Amino acid sequence: MKAGFYPKMAVSGMRKNGRLYVPYLITCILMVSIFYIFHFLGFSGVMNGMAGGGTATQMVGMGTYIMAVFATIFLFYTQSTLIKGRKKEFGLYSILGMNKRNIGRIILWETFIIWMVAVSLGLLSGIGLSKLAELGFTKLIAVPTRYSFSVSGSSVVTTVILFAVIFFMIYLNTVRQIRFADPAQLISAGKSGEKPPKANWAIGILGLVFLGSGYILALKIKQPISALVWFFIAVILIIIGTYLLLISGSVIMCRLLQKNKSYYYRTNHFVSVSSMAYRMKRNGAGLASICILLTMILVMLSSTSALYTGEEQCLDARYPNEIGAFACKYGYDETLPSQGEKLDEILKTAAEAKGAEVKNNYTYSVYSISGYFENSRLEVNLNSLTDMAFIDYDKVAQIMFIDDDEYNRVFGHDVNVNPGEAIVGTAKRVDIGDTITVGDVVFEVTERFDDKVAEIDPMATGAASPTIYLIVDDVEATAREYIRYSDYNGEPMLAWFWYSRFDTGLDEEGQIALAEELSGKIKEELNGKGFSNYYCESHEAERGDFVSTFGGLFFLGILLSIIFLVSCVLIIYYKQISEGFEDQARFTIMKKVGMNSEEIKKSVNSQMLLVFMFPVIFACIHLAVVLPIVDKLLMLFGLFNMPLLIACALVCVLICGLFYAAIYKVTSVAYLKIVSSAE
Amino acid sequence: MSLLEAKNIKKIYKTRFGGASVEALKNVSFTVEKGEYVAIMGESGSGKTTLLNILAALDKATEGTVILDGMDLSKVKDKDVAGFRRDNLGYVFQDFNLLDTFSLEDNIYLPLVLAGKKYPEMKDRLDKISGTLGISEILKKYPYEVSGGQKQRAAVARALITEPRIILADEPTGALDSKSSDELLSLFKKVNQTGQTILMVTHSTKAASNASRVLFIKDGVIFHQIYKGSNTDRQMYQMISDTLNLLAGGGER
Repeated sequence: MKAGFYPKMAVSGMRKNGRLYVPYLITCILMVSIFYIFHFLGFSGVMNGMAGGGTATQMVGMGTYIMAVFATIFLFYTQSTLIKGRKKEFGLYSILGMNKRNIGRIILWETFIIWMVAVSLGLLSGIGLSKLAELGFTKLIAVPTRYSFSVSGSSVVTTVILFAVIFFMIYLNTVRQIRFADPAQLISAGKSGEKPPKANWAIGILGLVFLGSGYILALKIKQPISALVWFFIAVILIIIGTYLLLISGSVIMCRLLQKNKSYYYRTNHFVSVSSMAYRMKRNGAGLASICILLTMILVMLSSTSALYTGEEQCLDARYPNEIGAFACKYGYDETLPSQGEKLDEILKTAAEAKGAEVKNNYTYSVYSISGYFENSRLEVNLNSLTDMAFIDYDKVAQIMFIDDDEYNRVFGHDVNVNPGEAIVGTAKRVDIGDTITVGDVVFEVTERFDDKVAEIDPMATGAASPTIYLIVDDVEATAREYIRYSDYNGEPMLAWFWYSRFDTGLDEEGQIALAEELSGKIKEELNGKGFSNYYCESHEAERGDFVSTFGGLFFLGILLSIIFLVSCVLIIYYKQISEGFEDQARFTIMKKVGMNSEEIKKSVNSQMLLVFMFPVIFACIHLAVVLPIVDKLLMLFGLFNMPLLIACALVCVLICGLFYAAIYKVTSVAYLKIVSSAE
Repeated sequence: MSLLEAKNIKKIYKTRFGGASVEALKNVSFTVEKGEYVAIMGESGSGKTTLLNILAALDKATEGTVILDGMDLSKVKDKDVAGFRRDNLGYVFQDFNLLDTFSLEDNIYLPLVLAGKKYPEMKDRLDKISGTLGISEILKKYPYEVSGGQKQRAAVARALITEPRIILADEPTGALDSKSSDELLSLFKKVNQTGQTILMVTHSTKAASNASRVLFIKDGVIFHQIYKGSNTDRQMYQMISDTLNLLAGGGER
């Protein structure tokens, strides 16, 4: 056959289906350019050498992988809907005498051309936009901006290769679809009379069960550490539930509406309810995808924006004073109290030598032991903890013993505790009775100081697991009770924590320099003495890291949201276009039977509004349910601000809602045009 | 006064850019009396479907008037046309035009629902006609589940349920096998005997021989008409065949 025949066939085939291929191509281009931007920022090294850019760059690097996976899935999905609409055309080719290999070659050319166009235009726009993205990125993570423009060769190569692989897989998949169909089948595809969907109660109930258990899980979780574990399980349950419910539940709903004669047989409801029932089965999955994407966007944007705006709060919570030092040693020995005093003296001397005026000094030590806390009793015995899989993370707790004299001295209180008694405090909702048992020792709870726990540990509410403070008469004597416990590695369970935090009155640079010097001093003192961890940090030095982390996350959230939103738009667009062509014939009939254009428009609007509102309403419910668990997760970052999170969520819902409404308007106009063009 | 009166109907189709124009109907005039069963015959392209569309207010005549029961169709406002059609005309199509999203029952109710009727009233009306049409058993089925003949009977029910002044049928037997055609034609006859006026467009001699009067249309004009009078269907069939032969032979009026 003549050279150039196949490329020509491929081009004309795509041109004839321009209404379907143009949006597909635009999506491909967008995917390519965003992937390039991700890779450029995450891997090309433009961010190297920027203070505080490290964490954010890692985040964006993670985004690169997410983007690659999402692009693969989504392009696969879109391509398969595209090819469905063209089966008839391929059937015709094969009746005209083309064999499957010829058709395969046309498809190969098509895929190749799309890959070429998408990658070249995508890279061009990606390179063009990369500087803009870089500016936004550096602004968000508050690092100085470069003024040079660069193109990353490695990013270009990676993008080209990745999309070559994706499109090759798409090509194989398309050929597979064409190969297993005979011409007659291909030509009648899409025309075969379709059964009206039956209401499938079993699937509907199953969906409800999945969704319900996902919801309950999301609402039940109280502790951040279990939130981390259960979040993904809840998410998966909710996703499955949404799919099942939207696929079958909507049909059930329509069937119920149809049973209600006085509702169903009304001009406004008649046409929309029946055609909705008819297409819900097919489009339930599409609607569920839209709903899930919207939920992802909302959760991602509201959590990352809350983190970003609440950054200073997180910082203050994590580093309440300008300088913070910490040391930790497992086990017990008598020298520890004097070691603490010595450390304190070293720090204060060094600080004052630097010209610091030590204020708000909180230096104290505690003994800590962890275990399984249930019914006011901490189980330290390890046999019950050997099988990690069965641990209920909501019940893991840490007990901190602090001496009453030290508590009074450091925090300026006046409490007195007798032997065998304890003043108990926790920032978490942990049930504690009149006595508390730790290991084998019983303490009588004489008082609670829950509201003052934050003085000791400002992060207490956000701790991964509940922390319970016990103010005891003689902390050394108490600690000795727990020397015999050790974990499965043979390490002692008991740990000695030493904290010191204070303000200095130095300027930012002075604080940062001081923290560095103090780190050195602590290391000098403790090195080789069996301490498992020690450090000294400054509030100022950590700010950069916080801004970088949260800014990076926010940036990631924004870029991924854009991609998800565009995908949403495309799903909706294809749905409307294909339904428009289907409904064309239907509305022609209705016109003949006596429906005027006004009524058609009304019926179309009420139908579209319902279909459009469905996923949005679902997504908002999902968001509302997931928000508490997101709040728990944000606690791990040190953000304890539910109102801020809710405010961010509301703003995100508003923005996405506006955008969604705009899509609705545009697609409904396109749909009406198609429907009413029938005469 | 006649139920339907078409006067000097002319229809000219223009190509989009004002090029050559096609005269589908040249000058058509005829009347239909109440209770009549009229068939319009003609070859493909003779203009008979155009005529029916004009009578059904689906299309507008370039010239001429159509008066249904004293109402001038050209005077009906655009936005009222659909309602007018719904209330006064029953249409039966060659390809049934049933909506696949509706059960047969709902398809039949469609015009009534659009007219805003209540369910009990719709049910009453359907109960009255479903027996005669032989569709009582299949009302809950969907169009794709039943045969062509059954679909067309449901379509007839949809046309009848509004109690229209006239039923317009466009090749109602065109998509049916001969047995279903016979059934449908006898159904039409039965319906006509209850006093329902029917105007049918067809090119099937068999179908036309059922009518009480047959109009022949050729090249956009009414060429000839014959009355059945007291003739049997068979005799009528012969008369129509003769006329068609004459037409095909290019004979002059």
